[in-house]
Amino acid sequence: MEGFRFVLRRVAAGIPLVLGVTLVSFVLIVHFGPDPTWNLLGKNPTAEEIAQLRSQMGLDRPFWVRYAEYLRELATLEFGFSESTGERVGTLLGRTVPVTLALLAPGFVLGNLLGVALGLLAAWHRGRWIDKAIMGFSVVGMSISFLVVIIAFQWLFGVWLGWFPVRGWAVHDLGSYLAHVTVPTLASVFVALGYNTRFFRAVFVDEIGHDHVRTARAYGAPPLVIMRDNVLRNTLIPIVTRILFSIPLIVVSGSLLIESYFGIPGVGKVTFDAITTGDQPVLKAVVGLTAVLFVVIQVLADILYRAVDPRVALE
Amino acid sequence: MNDRGPATSARPVVNPGADAPLAPPPRERPRAPATPWRRAVRRFLRDGWGLAGGLIVAGFAIIAVGSWLGAWGTDWVLATGGQWEGPSARHPLGTTILGQDILARALASTRTAFEIGLVVAALSTLLGALFGALAGWFAGGPADAAIAWLKGVLDSIPFYLFVAAVAFALDDHPWAMHLAMIATFWTTTARLVRAEVIRLREREFVEAARAVGVPPMTILRRHVVPNTIHVLLVQASIVFVAAIKSEVILSFLGLGVEDGISWGLMIAESTTEITSGRPWNFIAASSFLFLLVMGFNLFADAMQDALDPREERR
Repeated sequence: MEGFRFVLRRVAAGIPLVLGVTLVSFVLIVHFGPDPTWNLLGKNPTAEEIAQLRSQMGLDRPFWVRYAEYLRELATLEFGFSESTGERVGTLLGRTVPVTLALLAPGFVLGNLLGVALGLLAAWHRGRWIDKAIMGFSVVGMSISFLVVIIAFQWLFGVWLGWFPVRGWAVHDLGSYLAHVTVPTLASVFVALGYNTRFFRAVFVDEIGHDHVRTARAYGAPPLVIMRDNVLRNTLIPIVTRILFSIPLIVVSGSLLIESYFGIPGVGKVTFDAITTGDQPVLKAVVGLTAVLFVVIQVLADILYRAVDPRVALE
Repeated sequence: MNDRGPATSARPVVNPGADAPLAPPPRERPRAPATPWRRAVRRFLRDGWGLAGGLIVAGFAIIAVGSWLGAWGTDWVLATGGQWEGPSARHPLGTTILGQDILARALASTRTAFEIGLVVAALSTLLGALFGALAGWFAGGPADAAIAWLKGVLDSIPFYLFVAAVAFALDDHPWAMHLAMIATFWTTTARLVRAEVIRLREREFVEAARAVGVPPMTILRRHVVPNTIHVLLVQASIVFVAAIKSEVILSFLGLGVEDGISWGLMIAESTTEITSGRPWNFIAASSFLFLLVMGFNLFADAMQDALDPREERR
């Protein structure tokens, strides 16, 4: 009962956020967005013609009615048709989202696993050369632009060494999947690793400084056991938070750059094309859905914390 | 070093020569080294990497100011050489497809980067300080809840999409990118300032000010916010780096700088050249970008360590 009330409270807390993000995306993309009236009318339209078309398209309805209409579109996933390809936006997303997930999942998992591993290693050897080397590399990694890494890796592995395909997404089996996913994965791991390692190291250093770790060390527990039982378990909350909260960021910014540069037909490419051509139905779908998704993740994270740490419920 | 000030650090002075010029003669002004700023500067100067970073940033700042004053990088738009020339004495980094000098373009882009970084860092830090101070001072009240809601909303919309949406709404206005960055980058600053203000408002000096009848807003402005300066300085430098890195990606995506020149535009231009063995545009822009961001990261790290009040207790 107590748990159910907690879940309800968290879900209720997400509602104002959903209203906020949808309102912002509505105002920016639909309300201030381009007016399609002029493209659809002939030359020198009369005032009546303009008014008639606008009422046909529902553009003359009040702000709140149109906002409610946008909310309905988000809830039913019915955004109409893309202006540049004429494809239904729902179908378009259904076709491209799996490509993006397949493209980004390996880099996301590897980037976090390696980040945790290197962070533990650096924190355990804090102040010694191995820590300094890892932190030095992560500052260098943090300073290189994602765009530069993508361009350099594509040139290095695709053109100069010629090991992997340079562009496109001709995936039909495991071999071709690995061939296409390797360079984007290397690039995203390279870029994420600096930030991840730094963050995880700070979390672990803090935890290793606690008395229970010192006691376990004094009793002679092996380092790997201490890391698993004393360090990792106690730092689950910040680790899970960071990983969860980086999902929308990785999916959107990662896919935008990687897919537009490698010519991969995922959500990022679709979004990039929609940005360059001003394709309103696609943009309002992508912006609205990712923002709502992020709020959902926040609510889920709150609920998950309670599962991980019963003290959270006391709030 | 100084027998009257409190022990500033348990660590021995690694390099006594480094802080000699700053430490005043002990007998004349014995209390001077004890001010937090002096201690911060001394700690900063002891940090070799931070100092190197600071020098790199200073070098780039000189390049930016010189380019702004017209000392160099002025003929970035003119065709001063042939198409795709390699590096030579006349064009140290070669020329572009139109015969423009790549070094001049990279130098002029430094100015663009500083303009974007400074504008975005200054305004978003100001917003963050304002909202963070209000949220912290009125923690738990409606103002705090409203600001938390606004932060939650802005943090939930993915950054590149937000920039695209703002550019869309403003009809590709040249300031759309700056506006979008300022509107999103203040949230982290506000969160940190809020926490700091909540900590500070329970302190004795705030209580004392309240006891002698200083109006609450004056206390906040004169006594509380100035004490969050260490957070604001570090955040401003982090935002500066973020703005420069974002500019490159946004310009590449066609959402950033449109008139003028920037490292992002140079990299966008280079993408077709690099596969055909003409890497100079790419090398110039990405190494300028890397050096500046790296310098700023080292500088910000050292500044954070130097300004952190908790450092004193270690």
